[in-house]
Amino acid sequence: SEIDVEATGADQAVGFGLVGFSLSLFTYYTIWVIVLPFVDSDHVIHSYFLPREYSVILPGVAALILLLFVGTFIGVVTWKNRKPKKVD
Amino acid sequence: MWIILDPKCRGFFNYNFALYLCTVFSTMTKLLEWLLGASLIGMAWGLVTFDLLDLQLPPQYRELAWPMPVYLLVVFGCYSLATVGYRVATFNDCEDAAKELQAQIKEAKEDLKKKGLKM
Repeated sequence: SEIDVEATGADQAVGFGLVGFSLSLFTYYTIWVIVLPFVDSDHVIHSYFLPREYSVILPGVAALILLLFVGTFIGVVTWKNRKPKKVD
Repeated sequence: MWIILDPKCRGFFNYNFALYLCTVFSTMTKLLEWLLGASLIGMAWGLVTFDLLDLQLPPQYRELAWPMPVYLLVVFGCYSLATVGYRVATFNDCEDAAKELQAQIKEAKEDLKKKGLKM
């Protein structure tokens, strides 16, 4: 049916978008952590990357934000499903 | 406590410790295997990062070592995300099965309405 074909298109877009995003993130992060220490400090490539400390701080912050979202989601869903007398 | 350093007693404690290790290794569960492996890798990382043995490795290798735990986590996250995305993109629709399911849902709703269930 018409709806099935559209859903597949959106699924494919989201799916391949995730794949592309993961590959880009992996490439950038690998160059940052693994490649850069072996490159001369006056090479131009260093200007595309933040100082090395941020390679640990940024994922840490991202993990905290993710935990915040997950916790908030669980809290909201639990709150919506609360029943007056007892919680099933 | 220092009795184990006495030469006359050391053999006794070595033997019993070896027996104990054999028991642990032969009854080791998968969990213990993973914990042992992870601890060994963790200790190796700690030794390199904090230079506990004064190995004086070249600075590039030390720079490479200290973000390793976070790097491995990020790589694992990227792999998971890519796998989920790929499987979502290549999940094949079964149009006939979908139509059949919709028909069955409709049939079930009508049947229940007849029997008095309020939707």
